Amino acid sequence: MNVNFEAYVTAALFDSSTRAIFALGDGTVRFEDGTTIDAHPNGSVQCACAHPSGEGIVTGGDDGRVMWSRPSGPELIGEIKGRWIDSVASSAASGLIAFAAGKELRVRDVADPAFERVFKHDASVSDIAFEPKSGKRLATATYGGVALWYARVAEQKPQMLKWAGSHVGLAWAPDGRYIVSSMQEGQLHGWRLSDVKNMQMGGYPAKVKSMTFLFNGMIMATSGSNGAVVWPFGGGNGPMGKQASEVAYDEAGFTSRVAALPTRTLLAVGRDDGRIGVMNLQENRMEKVREERGAPISALALSADGGRVAWGDEDGNAGVAGLPLM
Amino acid sequence: MSDTASLIPVTVLTGYLGAGKTTLLNRILTEDHGKKYAVIVNEFGEIGIDNELIIGADEEVFEMNNGCVCCTVRGDLIRVVAGLMKRKGKFDAIIIETTGLADPGPVAQTFFVDDELKAKARLDSVTTVVDAKHILLRLSDSKEAREQIAFADQIVLNKADLVSPEDMRMIEARIRRMNPLAPIHRATRSNVPLSAILGRGGFDLERIVELEPDFLNPAHGEAGHVHDEHCGHDHHGHDHHGDDHGHDHHGHDHGHDHDHGHDHSGNVAATYDDDIKGVSLRLDRPVDAQAVTKWLNDLLAEQGPDILRAKGILDVKGEDKRLVFQAVHMILEGDLQREWRTGEERYSRMVFIGRNLDEAKLRAGFEATAAA
Ligand SMILES: [Zn+2]
Ligand SMILES: [Zn+2]
Repeated sequence: MNVNFEAYVTAALFDSSTRAIFALGDGTVRFEDGTTIDAHPNGSVQCACAHPSGEGIVTGGDDGRVMWSRPSGPELIGEIKGRWIDSVASSAASGLIAFAAGKELRVRDVADPAFERVFKHDASVSDIAFEPKSGKRLATATYGGVALWYARVAEQKPQMLKWAGSHVGLAWAPDGRYIVSSMQEGQLHGWRLSDVKNMQMGGYPAKVKSMTFLFNGMIMATSGSNGAVVWPFGGGNGPMGKQASEVAYDEAGFTSRVAALPTRTLLAVGRDDGRIGVMNLQENRMEKVREERGAPISALALSADGGRVAWGDEDGNAGVAGLPLM
Repeated sequence: MSDTASLIPVTVLTGYLGAGKTTLLNRILTEDHGKKYAVIVNEFGEIGIDNELIIGADEEVFEMNNGCVCCTVRGDLIRVVAGLMKRKGKFDAIIIETTGLADPGPVAQTFFVDDELKAKARLDSVTTVVDAKHILLRLSDSKEAREQIAFADQIVLNKADLVSPEDMRMIEARIRRMNPLAPIHRATRSNVPLSAILGRGGFDLERIVELEPDFLNPAHGEAGHVHDEHCGHDHHGHDHHGDDHGHDHHGHDHGHDHDHGHDHSGNVAATYDDDIKGVSLRLDRPVDAQAVTKWLNDLLAEQGPDILRAKGILDVKGEDKRLVFQAVHMILEGDLQREWRTGEERYSRMVFIGRNLDEAKLRAGFEATAAA
């Protein structure tokens, strides 16, 4: 499939029915069979994530709403009136959905419509990540560090992982032991949670907008450089004292998105000139998915079986491509 | 990757509450100019206009982690402008209205520091709206008011009808000493032509055509006013006929207005000593490229927190093109511009606007960069 949606592609993902789903800057959600859901009429999708059930997609809009879209239609999950939903995350393990607007974070439970938690921050929340195993804790990226919350507890003070500067993105290692944040200054900062040890992971020429763990948490790959930067997370010390390496290196521009699968070594790399490749890190072999140049790749996802890749760019070009056995 | 023309222009409106910012903003949103604006505001509800692209933001000033006090950005703008870009095609330009207490520095720096924003948007200019009736009091008691004046690419001086001509002259003289580059537009209820606010290219190196710091030139329409490039547009029908349209700035006596200001009585302060001032340097010999670059870099590294803005045109020895630069605190941008024309007077000039500027020291440092 290759289309032009004529709107910024905010997110792409495969749901549990292995459907490719796109969420767009015109407020719509598009399924690969052509079904269109107007999730945020007159608005735009600012952020998106999978639904805890695995079906459909959850989107946050500049209309202040969080919507769950399935081919059958949209459903309201939560709303912060008059604000933009800046980030949204979900956990299949706990069935929770968290979303943030400005300094406020809210948590909803898909099994209990009456459940809502509101967590206030001193500065705006830029990203949210659930603890991957249980989904009972969540982390928020904010100014001056990362806040750790118990997702279901109403009254609490968050544990602050402090580090000076503005934190804009988050990744939580699948075994739960490390949190990595991406910072305004083109560097990462990580914490080993057992002893709150700081890890500085620098050397990026650009801001890191995309991070993903793969290969059972042994590797984390990121955008923000000429290639995809690959950090080793195996062993007890994570990346501490180790060197990152760069794969899919290309002098022409930077990588803008990476996508992977939790247990495999497949890594999809989208670039700011519109090109896309998928490689198997074990074989160091690159499969070109899109060679045409265009707007920066803004959305990228691999299907669970590693057989397909879905992508979208800032100009609304999007596609789904099959991959050879890698 | 992106050429300047494809970047979304961003106009910043600053000024104290009640100075007339919202009136100006409403005019921009309602006048027929064929452009669609997205507006980022901090006080919701003031704008009585229905526009789906009015966005509230929180003025979050973030320090960069180099530990320097002046190296700050507005985190909320990075988020909101990135979010707006998802609505690409729905608007042509962005207006940012700051609160009266905002420091324009971080707003401007955001558009130079963040690579994501830089790839999509460019800062066009900063307009500061002030109220002639209260400005002197504000300048005395508010650091932000002084910074907003100093930072401006142009200044709208509202309530001009409520202030006596003598007081007006004194107010303008004081503003000019702080910011000799920004044209002052006298107005009532922000009735300036929008062409004086929009599309100014205040941060565009290509548009540093001539630097004629105007420390004392009385405002357009006033006795003794000397027309310059800022008068090109129509100032509400007042009559240029018979005025002296010469561009003679060099004959000004730098200081006379200051002196006669002291004699006034009434509601304006007779003396003042603003911490912020403009300093203009000129050199008629070519400068040495390496020496001047090093001097500028060292100066900004050392005094960057105090230097709000700087602009310069340099005649570099051995170079046929003009070297132009601008700076916001520690952020320095320079480029070779057009060629010096045959017969054109070649000289180097720079203007600094900032706090605690030691004019003699700056002059000595600049002159030492003259090529051997
Ligand atoms: Zn600084
Ligand atoms: Zn004039």
